[in-house]
Amino acid sequence: MLLLDYHNVLIHSLLTERFSGAPPVSIDQIVSDFDGVTFHLSTPESKTKILISLNVKCFRELVQYGAQQVLEREYGPYIVDPEPGYDFSVLIDLENLPAEQEVRDDLIMRLALMKRNAMAAPFERAFDEFAKLSEEASRYTTESAPQGVKEGGEVMAVHYREEEAIYIKASHDRVTVIFSTVFREETDRIFGKVFLQEFVDARRRVLTLQNAPQVLFRNDPPLELAGVPGLQNANDGTTSYVTFVLFPRHLAPQRRYENISHIQIFRDYFHYHIKASKAYIHTRMRKRTADFLQVLNRARPENEEREKKTASGRTFRVQG
Amino acid sequence: MASQTPAVVMDNGTGYSKLGFAGNDSPSFVFPTAIATKAAGGASAGRPPVGNKPGFLAGGGATGSHLSAKRGTEDLDFFIGDEALSAANGPGYGINYPIRHGQIENWDHMERFWSNSIFKYLRVEPEDHYFLLTEPPLNPPENRENTAEIMFESFNCAGLYIAVQAVLALAASWTSSKVTDRSLTGTVIDSGDGVTHVIPVAEGYVIGSSIKSIPIAGRDITYFVQSLLRDRGEPDSSLKTAEKVKEEYCYVCPDIVKEFARYDREPDRFLNHTVSAPNGRSVSIDVGYERFLAPEIFFNPEIYSSDFLTPLPNVVDGVIQSSPIDVRRGLYKNIVLSGGSTLYKDFGRRLQRDIRHLVDARIRASEARSGGAKSGGLDVAVVTHKRQRHGPWFGGSLLGQTPEFRSYCHTKAEYDEIGPSIVRRFALLGGPGSS
Repeated sequence: MLLLDYHNVLIHSLLTERFSGAPPVSIDQIVSDFDGVTFHLSTPESKTKILISLNVKCFRELVQYGAQQVLEREYGPYIVDPEPGYDFSVLIDLENLPAEQEVRDDLIMRLALMKRNAMAAPFERAFDEFAKLSEEASRYTTESAPQGVKEGGEVMAVHYREEEAIYIKASHDRVTVIFSTVFREETDRIFGKVFLQEFVDARRRVLTLQNAPQVLFRNDPPLELAGVPGLQNANDGTTSYVTFVLFPRHLAPQRRYENISHIQIFRDYFHYHIKASKAYIHTRMRKRTADFLQVLNRARPENEEREKKTASGRTFRVQG
Repeated sequence: MASQTPAVVMDNGTGYSKLGFAGNDSPSFVFPTAIATKAAGGASAGRPPVGNKPGFLAGGGATGSHLSAKRGTEDLDFFIGDEALSAANGPGYGINYPIRHGQIENWDHMERFWSNSIFKYLRVEPEDHYFLLTEPPLNPPENRENTAEIMFESFNCAGLYIAVQAVLALAASWTSSKVTDRSLTGTVIDSGDGVTHVIPVAEGYVIGSSIKSIPIAGRDITYFVQSLLRDRGEPDSSLKTAEKVKEEYCYVCPDIVKEFARYDREPDRFLNHTVSAPNGRSVSIDVGYERFLAPEIFFNPEIYSSDFLTPLPNVVDGVIQSSPIDVRRGLYKNIVLSGGSTLYKDFGRRLQRDIRHLVDARIRASEARSGGAKSGGLDVAVVTHKRQRHGPWFGGSLLGQTPEFRSYCHTKAEYDEIGPSIVRRFALLGGPGSS
């Protein structure tokens, strides 16, 4: 269906099977996820010890923004030294699992969400910063606020793909998340443009979406990114910027977790939908071609096959 | 650093699709090649209802009750794989199988099936990955072109290679300890759910004129088991039970008459199978002669069907005899099994014995006719290996991880330059010259 999961389906199903007490087997699987993330599931020592390693392109940046802490919080006792070639590893001992089924399920889910958790670090930091800043800001009125509070924190850049990045910036009344996207394909760019434009407009048109974060779409770097190094040349038209403005109601602690998941997967959804739209248009094109062919077939001259007689002089009637 | 993303290997068969990444030893996902669409849309699936505006709320999802949210997104309302089967049991959805007889029949469904398997199951961005797809032997080049159009134009995949399933099955047999030289010459016996093919391959190229198919495969064995259970009046003789019995207990015996006698002597060969129904009750059924009778229909088809009577060994022999004379020796020497219906215990051994009998009889006859000349003999070997079940997929995984795989692919840039006709030809992957 339409919705993509946040967790890795394969890791989830694999671990569910392993945890259910099935006879241990050796595993050696490379699993890929969006944005060039690679997992490696293996049983290097014995069949009951599963090593799960993660490789993220921008792991160094993520560590800067506190990924290590987030991962330690999530996987604390399971963390081991990273496997060579990978950035982060956990080791699960099947003989040493939590006894309760719910705890196990929770562990499986947490492991399947490893990519999400690694990527969540800058978001969590931004949200924390927002909380701090808004508290600070509440002590001032608009006029008397010193410069630092008004401007908000630094821009955190996560170069999660070759040419694309997420920029996150916290300030006292909102958190701004900016995606830079590049389309290598002409058709995709146009689809993307239409899609994003609709995305921006939809919020205005439909009442139920009024609570959604504000979305802005433009082709040149937004002002928030002024002075950020390494920005692509603005005017070549290939890079576009999608800005999400998260307001305090999105940042409430109870919604944080879900919102981080939502916003992380935006790019994948975006591309998925462009591809789905293309598939839809192809469907219509095929249908139309079939229609035209039908018309062509019908356009055959009619009176070609009349008056055929058998040897005895009888005729066949042409059906229909 | 794992700087190169692993290639995606997709083997879409009539019954099941095998998806995964190159380098792994088993497919990541195996599910039915089925897609469940809105039943109303089933008839007019070619053209989903069109809204006045594009479905700009497609991503919303949350506003399910909102009328305008429903408009124009019917084309996104579908399930694939196991989810499709369970959705089709409920109301509102109809099930479709986009692949018939190994070939893609419904491109609309297939395109959506692919998009869902790539994004939802494999979770890859197709622009970052190379793809290895499979096709049945004798796939028309137009189908290849259609596949390439979808892969390159819808998904913008980085590179594409389309391999013939039989050739990949040969490559998969390289893992067997019995295989010493990595040749791409051999006879592939591919028996899946619907049909069994015997395909001669010479140096990576399928000898199309000699391919034979047999209308006996997994499904027929299941039906046969079911009919045996029914005849005996077992308490449960559903198709599912028959399938379980087939998968768990069946084996191939060397001689059917002796096997009957042995069963009478050793009553512990009769087994019990317990079927547990979802409501908690369980019934026990007897499992008897069908253990060896069911796979026997390959070797003595007359016990099952009245219109197809040639045993499998004779078909294989006929296929090789109709191939060019200079490759026959290689074809006899390397008979490779592939597909789920070749997994019965001793299947390979029986096949090898029967084919050898045929060959030896022919050699003796010609020796007698020639009046004293001696033949050097002919080597017949049937290769069984551990990867038989997903043979073509595994072969794809094996070849897809080789460093030169990418140079064999056609890339997006080449496609843009030349057009769909580019996929009519591929350099032979794993052939001579590559490691």
